[in-house]
Amino acid sequence: MRFDDITEAIGNTPLVRIDPAVHGLRNIDLYAKMELLNPFGSVKDRAAWSMVRPMLAGAAERGDTVVELSSGNTAKALALIAGMHGLPFRSVTNRMKVPEIKDLLLLLGAEIDELPGQSECLDPTDTDDPLTRMYRRLTESGGGFVHTDQYFNELNVEAHLNGTGPEIVKDLDGNAPDYFIACVGTAGSSTGVARALRQHDPDTRVIGLVSAKNDFIPGIRTIDEVHEVGLFDPGVYDTVEPVSADEAIDGLLTLVRRCGMLAGPTGGGAYQGAVRFLRTVDASLTERRSAVFIICDRVESYLSYLRERRPALFGQPARPHSVGSLSPAEVAAAPVVAVEAAEAYARDALVIDLRSPYAYQALHIDGSINIVDEAFGEMLAAGLPFSRRQPVLLVCPVGEKSASYAALLQKMGHPAVHSLAGGVIAWRDADLPLVRD
Amino acid sequence: MLPLTPRIAPITRSVLDEGELLEQLVEGFGSPVNVVLPQSAGANVARFLDVYRRRRLRGRIHFAHKANRSSALLRQLSTTDAGVDVSSLEELQHALSSGFPPDRILATGPKDRAFLWLAAQTGVTVAVDSLAEISDIPGRNAKIMIRLSGFVSHGVQMVSRRSRFGIRVGDLDTALDLIDGRAELVGLAYHLDTVAVAEKAVAFEGALAALDKCRARGLRPWTLDIGGGYGVNYLADGAQWERYTSALAQAVLGNRPPMTWNGHGYGLRAENGTLRGSLTVYPAHRGAAGADYLDQLLDTPAPGQRRPLGDLLLDHMYDLDVEPGRALLDQCGLVLTRVVEVRRQDGDLLVRVDANARDVSTEEHGVLMDPVLLGKDEGEGDNDGEGEERGAYLLGNLCLESDLITRRQVRLPRTPRTGDLLVFVNTAGYFMDFVATTAVRRPVTPMVALYRRDGRWRWCLDENYWPEGAP
Repeated sequence: MRFDDITEAIGNTPLVRIDPAVHGLRNIDLYAKMELLNPFGSVKDRAAWSMVRPMLAGAAERGDTVVELSSGNTAKALALIAGMHGLPFRSVTNRMKVPEIKDLLLLLGAEIDELPGQSECLDPTDTDDPLTRMYRRLTESGGGFVHTDQYFNELNVEAHLNGTGPEIVKDLDGNAPDYFIACVGTAGSSTGVARALRQHDPDTRVIGLVSAKNDFIPGIRTIDEVHEVGLFDPGVYDTVEPVSADEAIDGLLTLVRRCGMLAGPTGGGAYQGAVRFLRTVDASLTERRSAVFIICDRVESYLSYLRERRPALFGQPARPHSVGSLSPAEVAAAPVVAVEAAEAYARDALVIDLRSPYAYQALHIDGSINIVDEAFGEMLAAGLPFSRRQPVLLVCPVGEKSASYAALLQKMGHPAVHSLAGGVIAWRDADLPLVRD
Repeated sequence: MLPLTPRIAPITRSVLDEGELLEQLVEGFGSPVNVVLPQSAGANVARFLDVYRRRRLRGRIHFAHKANRSSALLRQLSTTDAGVDVSSLEELQHALSSGFPPDRILATGPKDRAFLWLAAQTGVTVAVDSLAEISDIPGRNAKIMIRLSGFVSHGVQMVSRRSRFGIRVGDLDTALDLIDGRAELVGLAYHLDTVAVAEKAVAFEGALAALDKCRARGLRPWTLDIGGGYGVNYLADGAQWERYTSALAQAVLGNRPPMTWNGHGYGLRAENGTLRGSLTVYPAHRGAAGADYLDQLLDTPAPGQRRPLGDLLLDHMYDLDVEPGRALLDQCGLVLTRVVEVRRQDGDLLVRVDANARDVSTEEHGVLMDPVLLGKDEGEGDNDGEGEERGAYLLGNLCLESDLITRRQVRLPRTPRTGDLLVFVNTAGYFMDFVATTAVRRPVTPMVALYRRDGRWRWCLDENYWPEGAP
């Protein structure tokens, strides 16, 4: 395969069978459409390219900015395409909840505008939806723009009607699958694929998955939010079912740990929702059936999402020298210096200020050095960072963290470490000098 | 008929159980009657103090007086560790006469010269709202905070609604030049009208940077004041809230019968089968409200330094001042109304009460919850076989088409009868007097304080309530 342009690599993704030993369905062959193998990493590559392509002519000359209301993969694909064509890209969002994606978009050169939250003192006249707000901001900024409008743009659907759908039929030897299961975000891929499959076989059943209300799966809308999507047509789906974040993560784990597929939460949700639905029909089947679901994107961008919901997945054994390993009694017995004696003690000791760098730089005890508590903890994990003969005074805001570290250093065999009782706040309250270098 | 059952704490429940006492109050004063429960306020203050204690934070919890004009509530709060945030000359006078010493009073909001004079004269801290106010402060010894607004975010651009209040961050130097020698800068303040924690985190970190700028000029402000907006959880059941809001969207799309007067959408509208607009109602069921919300905010990492805001505050040795309004009045009051007419119109049950939407201003604030119908459930007059529970529209007493207590069809346990009492609970924060009027020559609603003494409920006029015992 030799291409002149990376966009030529969009589409033609493999359809991969899931091992029946993994899903346990007896009469159904389950296939994953591997959209995560698109060059920018997701199913949105198709829609982004399909929507923006007709608008690129002359955009650079006019100085237009590509804009989209997106919190994830569409923004990522558009940022890359915009970059290739010398255009700035701006994403306007009120739902970007995954920090890695924000960082990645900034790395790709995107600008991100985050919209304000609901007001606490209600203003009943403020009924603008995010799209209206975005248009207003664009108008205010004065410049021209290329708006791909993914929630209303039929080209979003057509990318899948002409691409994803026919590819599935081709890979199933010219047959549409009996079941197609898709998560609903912009509704572009589910609507487009469903149309293509039904053109081939009107009996194909389409199951739409949405996230439960008050739940959050990146890339999937909740049962209420789908109604804000212009492309969403309830008639496309034979059933619309909720899938929970918990199920999505279960599915993700099955795909990454047992199937060799680096699926993100949306793909995990599609897998889990598919298996849950198919189990209900599997037992009553007398002949073989086929089912297809989409793995939208990759897992790497969702590590913090997973860590927040399943911290145990990242569980590390307790490290030998950590404050977490101390008992409350050990912390209570930490050697302390009262603030009255501290000024004299500080003269001969190495004074370590554990607060944040900005706080230290603003005001600190003269002669102290700054090692922020997290970094200090990392250093101690590897052993003592100073001599046992060196007296040490630890300082934190109120004398709590410093007491823990003093107890830890004592346990590690340091004979002359103390914590400043009451911390730098007690020092200030005693009118002792603080300096700013 | 989808219910939105209010959250009723034991103290409110025990008031509702005093049907005879409530009946006498409405009979004596006429409908409506505002009832405040001053003894409820202390527990709310304690919840905030608990967050301070656990985090080793210092600073003052100021009650935002504007949430309720009651004297009983203010006097009771003066016996706690709370301070008070006053936003008019009259509120300042009220705070001073309700037992608050000047060092527990903070003057905020737009100020005139009389307000500034009395604040400076009594030594009350003034949160200045504009450059002009700094010049207007009399004398040279006033303690002031500067209210900042227009914080700038880096990387991801956090867009906030424009605020009419505060001095722009970029004008801080000008403000400090103006202050020079004219007053003592004790801290910086901001208040954002939003429920979004991420948005507040940007302002929080921006204010810390501004405080550092003050330090670099040799000033020593020790307080960061982050304003109010901690919220109240009004509903008993989150699932009801989710069902209701989903169904409302479906009703707006025309997929189910209307659930509101004239199909009102509360900000939602249908365009070509797609839902547009946004739901402008108060998030009445909230995961974290009041002190818990503050705790969550302090756990949030600063967007730039990526260290929890609460840790940064301690690192910098700053005191934290907050100004909760409704969060300190959770379960501190109710409004009693009399049902004056019950009728059917086009298949709907219409219930008119002797009060208007400005007396019980939950609708104006977008808070949706069902009222409580007092009295026995059995032996009802209107037995039309529609089942136990009834949906009803609540009409107000003004000669005005729009005067509905709420445009939402509320759920009642039975069909009310003329003369029944209909009670709106948890109304002390903003829903009693903030927008009350004397339109059509209606008198201002009387306010009574209900309190427990010697094991039973007693009442007095709000202005005659004085807390028990010496502080």
